Amino acid sequence: MSILRRNLPGVLVMGIPVLWIALFMLLPYGIIVTYSFWLKKYPTFIPAFQFGNYITIFTDPQYVLVFLRTLKISILVSIASFLLAYPFAYWLVFRCRSAALRTWLYMAVIAPLWVSYLLRAYIWKTILGTEGVLNSFLMSIGLIDEPSSLFLYNQFAMVVTLTYIFIPFMVMPIYTALEKIPTNLTEASADLGMGPWRSFWHVTLPLSLPGVAAGFTLTFCLSFGDFIAPFLVGGPDGNLIANVIATQFGAALNWPLGSALAIVMLIVVLTIVSLSDRMERKGLSGGI
Amino acid sequence: MTTKKTMIGTLGILAMSTAPVLAEGTINVLTWEGYADPSFITQFEEQSGCSVNATYVGSNDDFAPKLMAGGGVYDLITPSIDTTKLMIDLDFVEPLDTAMIDGWNDIYPKFLALDGIQKDGAYYGMPYSWGAIAFMYLDDAFETPPTSLNDLWREDLKGKISLWDDKSAIYVAARKNGDMDIYNLSDEQIAAAQAALVEQKPLIRKYWSTAGELVDLYKAGEVVISNTWAGYQSSLLAAEDVKVTEFIPEEGAEGWMDSWMVVKDTPNKECAYKFLNMQISELGQCGVANVNGYSAANATAAKNCMTPEQFTALHQDDPAYLDSLLIWQPLADRFEVYTNAWNSVKAQ
Repeated sequence: MSILRRNLPGVLVMGIPVLWIALFMLLPYGIIVTYSFWLKKYPTFIPAFQFGNYITIFTDPQYVLVFLRTLKISILVSIASFLLAYPFAYWLVFRCRSAALRTWLYMAVIAPLWVSYLLRAYIWKTILGTEGVLNSFLMSIGLIDEPSSLFLYNQFAMVVTLTYIFIPFMVMPIYTALEKIPTNLTEASADLGMGPWRSFWHVTLPLSLPGVAAGFTLTFCLSFGDFIAPFLVGGPDGNLIANVIATQFGAALNWPLGSALAIVMLIVVLTIVSLSDRMERKGLSGGI
Repeated sequence: MTTKKTMIGTLGILAMSTAPVLAEGTINVLTWEGYADPSFITQFEEQSGCSVNATYVGSNDDFAPKLMAGGGVYDLITPSIDTTKLMIDLDFVEPLDTAMIDGWNDIYPKFLALDGIQKDGAYYGMPYSWGAIAFMYLDDAFETPPTSLNDLWREDLKGKISLWDDKSAIYVAARKNGDMDIYNLSDEQIAAAQAALVEQKPLIRKYWSTAGELVDLYKAGEVVISNTWAGYQSSLLAAEDVKVTEFIPEEGAEGWMDSWMVVKDTPNKECAYKFLNMQISELGQCGVANVNGYSAANATAAKNCMTPEQFTALHQDDPAYLDSLLIWQPLADRFEVYTNAWNSVKAQ
């Protein structure tokens, strides 16, 4: 009794997170792993231990195809987010003179996160549609004569929408990384005769790499698991891996195959996270 | 003393707040939008003393996962005739006491003869409404109206075609290939249908998955031809002043029929049967016909409550029309081959 009472704070501090992890992470993952070895059998599926589901994933070309497409889209989203976010964050940290304006602009990037994801994806439909805002604008300035159907219901629309939705996750870590770089390092580099470009290449960029890696990881993983954008703005060639998993759990009633797909996806995401983690550490130890 | 009082007070509040849920007269239905529309459910609630909570599904694929997640939530469901058998085989539903349903004998014999709603001589589903998976085109886009499934494979309509994101796409492609026994296709015929759909894919603007999505596609000028749930999307579009026409192609159309099923061991049997009786009566039959534009399964009730025009428009007086439809059938162990073929088309 007294031992428990004495240790109670410790038990609580350690116990709650451990219980949380066990209940909400290890247990669900365990269930998914178990299902992934089961066997599909009408009307549902039966317990078994076999690797048929995994073999299907790697031998049936449809899964490999969707997997590669998801990889491509996620990488494109990460690159597009990076190309937009880095100059913006750089400007905010080093060039924006007014602190108020800086805070304001930073908040403007974060603010869309408070708007429903679904709504933001849906809005792109009205922008990119055949009779949408973009087409009306291009026609009004005389750039095109008739509405183009090239903007919506294809992979381009998915990359645009996902980039828009996930870009805050690229801006935030890069901004934080740039903010941490002492300005006297750039000054020292200039004193030693480096031009602004070379200072950027040799000082600022390497020091901000951990932020870039974090941004890439976040945007990549979020896009990799997305299934709303293909549904709303994707075309017939827009099926992503998460859509296939949803179909297996729903229409196909094949939870074992869906679980196996989820496990493969989890492994990919964990690999990326640990790679990026390693990069960040390297960046930190190598940088300073 | 005070603790006791507080406790009693708390219990009282708890009892009050849980009371409506535990009340005998509440049934939870898992159904399609419109099937529990206030326009006729309110009257039922007042007359029967049973209140109705409706949860809506977006597709037939929602029933099994929702019921698998745990029982005791829903009392009644309305899967279509390709899914009813699955519900029976999954042991989610119980046999109906047809003697307790007044309008039972007025239901079209053709529906009562269907395998999908029976097992071992007992009925598990009460036919409710039906219709065709018709095809639809935008009036302005065609000088000569389309008449064949080949029009959904026309190069000049590239980027203006839509198809339902459902295994029924295989049925469509099979008929286009001339394979009319669409529910018993061989592996080769399914592969051929799959190939036809892959060939069609570059022409597709978007595979539609919900009724609202198809309406949006027509409204936004994205598509001009597609399949449709006859009566439903076309009336939604008419309300928006978009002029579309439904047609049954030369290659025929599938038919669907939805049935009410009672979830196994429901504690609300009394209200459930009151509800079934209402749905098969004039109130329910014309209720769904007016809200969704679907045809009624009880011809006698339909005759009494529909205007002659509506009766004709919904093909209630036209047994030949019903016979011409290829009514959905359960695919049982072939189900996986069909869905897998369709998934692999989408994966391309």
